[in-house]
Amino acid sequence: MSRQELLNPGGLRIDGRRATELRKIKCKPSVLRQADGSAYIEQGNTKCLAAVYGPREPRLKSQIIHDKANINVELSYAPFSTSERKRRAKTDKRILEIASAVKQTFEPVILANLFPRSQIDIYLQILQFDGGTVQICINAATMALIDAGVPMRDYVCACTAGCFDKQPVLDLNNTEESSDSPELTVAILPRSGKVTLLQMESRLHVEKFESVMNLATEGCKAIYKILDKSIRDNMKDATSNMI
Amino acid sequence: MQQSNAHRLQVVLPGDALPVYEHKLKLGPGLIQDEDQIIAVKGGVLKHQPAGNKYWVESNQRRYVAATGDPIIGVITQKGGEFFRVDIGAAHSAVLSYYAFENATKRYRPNHDVGTLIYARISQANKDMEPELECVNPATGRADGYGELKGGQVAKCSLGLARRLLETETPILKDLGDHIPFETAIGLNGRIWINADTTKNTIVVINAIKDSEKYPESQSRQVVSNHLSKW
Repeated sequence: MSRQELLNPGGLRIDGRRATELRKIKCKPSVLRQADGSAYIEQGNTKCLAAVYGPREPRLKSQIIHDKANINVELSYAPFSTSERKRRAKTDKRILEIASAVKQTFEPVILANLFPRSQIDIYLQILQFDGGTVQICINAATMALIDAGVPMRDYVCACTAGCFDKQPVLDLNNTEESSDSPELTVAILPRSGKVTLLQMESRLHVEKFESVMNLATEGCKAIYKILDKSIRDNMKDATSNMI
Repeated sequence: MQQSNAHRLQVVLPGDALPVYEHKLKLGPGLIQDEDQIIAVKGGVLKHQPAGNKYWVESNQRRYVAATGDPIIGVITQKGGEFFRVDIGAAHSAVLSYYAFENATKRYRPNHDVGTLIYARISQANKDMEPELECVNPATGRADGYGELKGGQVAKCSLGLARRLLETETPILKDLGDHIPFETAIGLNGRIWINADTTKNTIVVINAIKDSEKYPESQSRQVVSNHLSKW
């Protein structure tokens, strides 16, 4: 079985991108009428839909926190999202891990102490999967939370980066993720540059770490510009009829 | 709240720092102080009132957050020992005491069932407690329109539209009233109650009001005639 060349001598990856190129991003807020806030985002071939409800009455009395809102994140993969149709249980450990990572990313950013004893629900659904679940979930949740009017200190933008043969690369797709390349996921607050999530799969040499992390951070800032433009355009349309 | 001095249409998003450097100002909803900067925490339009140097972000969200003084439309969900439990669409249900009605005494209790529609005013809203309602105007002690809403139809709308409908400068209700007689109650929790003489007129009024959000105010007459001509 021949190993696929992830980065050919001409500097092109298997989908034709350069090493430091992001996948094409399309995003749109306010796509669901019934949710308090919602967003749809595509990064290359990965598509994610986010819906936010809240702050609202908590579902279970056991989840009530007396001085702030409980942030609940639920993630699901549509059975048709991968190349092989597969129904994943809601209690799948991998899915729970990703949902927990998203929840921890947003906990310091959402001003939850304004809504004690209530619950903010973030529902994420992956409609098509081609790598980069954590990053697309965070980006979609950010847009949906802003659309819902949930007070947040700043945007949270996430991006992945890896390393093929000592060359840092940005935004891995599924084939690149499944290879033995390390994958670093970074989520930052663009205005201050503060990091709220840092995850890594596989192993990366410590000397290479700084360059891969810087590349991911640059990717986050580029994604921030795209998300910001989309939200501003949507807000301008909504407020054009206000005095 | 009539803000005739509010102008300056600047769209802000979470994380945006405000370009104001005065020392004494009042921060309203949607703004917090982070060290020596003021940053927006919600997406919306930045508004400013020179009297009192108040700044706030007016955002058009769908989820209501209880605030003191707001008139709201609620549905009774439970009858407790001394109070009704009312759903107002916020993070917690609200509490309406039996004594918060006009002419309420220990003997004369309001006799409303579960499922009754109530127009009330939020007398107390605190983030740590359940909101409390009253069905009297605190200034006069009379009902003044608060109380049970009989008949009619309730529709959900965004909070921004509800706020604009309560301002007298918004023309859509007047323009509709020129053609169809109806009574209405506007809840700042995004619920509006319309009671017209026929079902058809009620539906026309509700659709026209919901539609008016999409068009500028100058076109409100056009919106009304569009909806009237559809029937």
